[in-house]
Amino acid sequence: MADRAGHQTGRLTSRPLLAWILLAWACAAGAASLTASVRSPAGAPVADAAIVLEPTGRPAPAARGHATIEQRDREFIPYLTIVRKGTSIDFPNHDPVKHHVYSFSPAKVFEIKLYAGKSVNPVIFDKTGEVVLGCNIHDWMAAHVLVVDTPWFAKTGADGIARIDGVPPGAYRLRVWHPRQKAAAADRDVSLGAAARRVDYTLELTPRLIVPKPPLDAGGY
Amino acid sequence: MTLFRTLERRIAIVFVGLLVFVVLLMLLIVAHSGEAIILAESQRQLAAGARNFGSLIDRDQRQLELAASVLTGDFGFREAIATQDRATVHSVLRNHGSRIGARVMMVVSLDGQVMVDTQRLGKAARPFPFGDLLRAAQENGRSGGVALMDDAQLYQIVVVPIMAPVRIAWVVMGFPVEDAWALEFSRASGLDVSVITAGGGIQASSLAPGLRVALKGQQAAALDEQPRQLALEGRNYHAVALRFGPQARVVLLHSLEHSEAAFRELERILELIAGAGIALFVVGSFGLARRIAGPLNTLARAARRIEAGDYSEAVAVEAPDEIGQLAAGFESMRTGIAAREQKIVRLAYEDTLTGLPNRIRLTEYLDGLDPAAAAAVAVLGLDRFAPINDALGHPVGDRLLQQVGARLAGLLPPRGMLARLWGDEFAFVVEGVDEQWAHKFAASLLAALHEPIEVDGQRLDVSGSLGVAFRPADGRDMDVLLRRAELAMYSAKRRQSGYALAGEVGDGPPPEQLSLIGEMRRALERREFALHYQPKLALASGRVVGAEALLRWQHPERGMMPPTRFIPFAEQTGFIREITPWLLEEVAAQAAAWRRQGIAVVLSANLSARDLLNPDLVGLMRRLLATHDLPAAALCLEITESALMEDPALALSHLAELAAIGLKLSIDDYGAGQASLSYLKSLPVHELKIDQSFIGSLAASPKDAAIVRSTIALGHALGLSVVAEGIEGEADLAWLAAAGCDVGQGYFISRPMEAPAFADWISTRAAIPVV
Repeated sequence: MADRAGHQTGRLTSRPLLAWILLAWACAAGAASLTASVRSPAGAPVADAAIVLEPTGRPAPAARGHATIEQRDREFIPYLTIVRKGTSIDFPNHDPVKHHVYSFSPAKVFEIKLYAGKSVNPVIFDKTGEVVLGCNIHDWMAAHVLVVDTPWFAKTGADGIARIDGVPPGAYRLRVWHPRQKAAAADRDVSLGAAARRVDYTLELTPRLIVPKPPLDAGGY
Repeated sequence: MTLFRTLERRIAIVFVGLLVFVVLLMLLIVAHSGEAIILAESQRQLAAGARNFGSLIDRDQRQLELAASVLTGDFGFREAIATQDRATVHSVLRNHGSRIGARVMMVVSLDGQVMVDTQRLGKAARPFPFGDLLRAAQENGRSGGVALMDDAQLYQIVVVPIMAPVRIAWVVMGFPVEDAWALEFSRASGLDVSVITAGGGIQASSLAPGLRVALKGQQAAALDEQPRQLALEGRNYHAVALRFGPQARVVLLHSLEHSEAAFRELERILELIAGAGIALFVVGSFGLARRIAGPLNTLARAARRIEAGDYSEAVAVEAPDEIGQLAAGFESMRTGIAAREQKIVRLAYEDTLTGLPNRIRLTEYLDGLDPAAAAAVAVLGLDRFAPINDALGHPVGDRLLQQVGARLAGLLPPRGMLARLWGDEFAFVVEGVDEQWAHKFAASLLAALHEPIEVDGQRLDVSGSLGVAFRPADGRDMDVLLRRAELAMYSAKRRQSGYALAGEVGDGPPPEQLSLIGEMRRALERREFALHYQPKLALASGRVVGAEALLRWQHPERGMMPPTRFIPFAEQTGFIREITPWLLEEVAAQAAAWRRQGIAVVLSANLSARDLLNPDLVGLMRRLLATHDLPAAALCLEITESALMEDPALALSHLAELAAIGLKLSIDDYGAGQASLSYLKSLPVHELKIDQSFIGSLAASPKDAAIVRSTIALGHALGLSVVAEGIEGEADLAWLAAAGCDVGQGYFISRPMEAPAFADWISTRAAIPVV
């Protein structure tokens, strides 16, 4: 399951220069941090919820990144991937069987026909939006990609907590999103200063549709 | 009932009738329980069919859902849907829908808007009309149901998600519920399936059109899940109605005919078996009945033959069973009856003692002769057979009769028959003979009897008397001829003439005598008999010494009857035994009366042979003497010579007793019989009365005068008083007085008189001496 990937930030592997500039900017401005806690109405921590901060009134700094969504043990790993617009994502296949990764989501329609090992070309997600990934030959395989136009985002871990660091102080629109949310929570406008900010969310989810996965060595899947 | 007249039919009909009854009862029970079984079976089949139908529908629904799921899982389909190009989407819906036979296809967004609808191409989006199905699909991932669509057609609807890989939309597929569907379910469930919408229209049915109309006309609305019976076009069904979606119901019909068919087949077979069984039974029963009744009919015919007197044919029924035994019994009965009848015939026609034919056989023989032809009947009576029988015993008498019969049989002419009539009488019937023959035959017969017969070493002298009557001269039938011949025989016996012919003897007692017995009995009761007294005159003294009592009958119609008209008949019939006691009583009373009046005469009464042989006679006389206080010498009993000769020994012993009492005894009609002098000598009598035939001819016949003279001498020699009767003239009286006769009696002296007249007469006469 994607959840076992644990609490992690988006993997942004940008060029060292850009990183340095950004870091300097952030430091110069005095970086802020935001911690979001997402719980279900029953109070259980909600993992794999995306927390996104979009600056209001000014464009976010452009950046290109690269991400990887693996197929391992006939699952997409991770379950939820948040990327900046324009990020290319590789879909390396670590399974002994081929996969056929597709998406019919309007934000990105693509299809990587049956392949094994590393896919030929990474897929560039150049439109913001939600993309659902599936495998045409393994119905239960599903993963979500949230394409955003901001560098500040995080997803909750098993404890339902996500933390975004190094955010320059300023006004932001705070969004929370979960692939299985029943209703979208309202965006919040937050003004971040130097102090760390903590936000609590309550999200009601539809249960994840569990499609039983047959064992690999029985039945020849 | 003529139907049951023969045993054969009765047996057969009873057996067959019983079988038919049992078979009908059985068929009735089978039919009756069959109906119940059919109903129960039909209901059971309907219930099973209904359950089956329910699960069929469920499975069908699942299969549709599965098929739909498989369809929506198709990548190309998903891809096409994902393009959101309406024309493409519509096209792919049509294409993929036709793969699984869905007629209606829709794509419904997750929020329930119909995005594409094959029925409403190019129309604007609208909310999905079957919210329930959608909600169920959201709940369960997919759903199915039955619903009426815009075309007023009922559809089986499935709602399945399009997963890419999460649910991105719903695909709705509609499968029309039509006749083909109904037929398929009818085949699978074994029931007739009809789908009726809430409006009452029949959406689909496996029924023939006519039955659909009938079902529609029926109160199908009243049906529910409880099986009910209803009739469609004359055929019986069981029906239930099940809910089929919110707007329709399924009516399931189970035809009773299906259940009935097997049963009807069974019934048909049963009826066949019953029919064949009855037919076999009829044949068998009649056969058996014939085997039973056939021999019985044979027996019945045999019985009728035996009844008719035909014993000749043997009863032949060869059967090992009871009928055979019965037939054997019949057969032995037949032979037994035949033997017994022979014996009876023999007994009826044969005299067992002598083996000769009897009187009946003889009568038949005579009757069998030509009536116009001359014939003779000869009756032989043995003389003095009774004394022989008494003296030597019946066995000797019987053997004597047998020997006589055998001897007579040797004399039988060729055309004749010999029979024993009774006792010591035998009779011949001889055809075509005349008097001439009779004389010769009588002579030879009497001569043959003359030879002594030896019985048990004793030589017995036998004689007989023969009477012969001729047909047609003396009569025509056997009774008359026999009677005439017997009379002739008696006459011959009396006259000791050996034989007599009926024509010479006369007719015997006239027919009027036949009624005399009754009249005589009446005469005794009415005192029509009277006694007249004829004086007996002592010739020497001229005194009346006695009187003979003579019987007279004053018959109310015939007037005064002379004794000769009825006394012999009374003697023959034995009625004399009743008259004599009366007569003796009268005489005794009269004697006593006259004695009291001073008329001392000895009254004489005549006794017949029967009276003399009557063992009661002595006792009677004693009683009379005692009753009337009479001296025995006041009465005298006159016995004819012939009466003595009937049974001389018994007569002698009775006479001795009477004499011992002191009664006077007189031999009457002496000279007419054949009493021997030696016998006469031994008799204890006091008087001898010379037969009047001698007295009447005294003057004319010197021979008779000589006989009378010598008889008087003989009587005196034996110490007897001699009486002459029948004196009719003075000359005779004088002659007799001169001849020394003691007493005279006759018209010349006096006619017989009644008692008062006699008393008068004697009072006037007493003093008058004899001339």
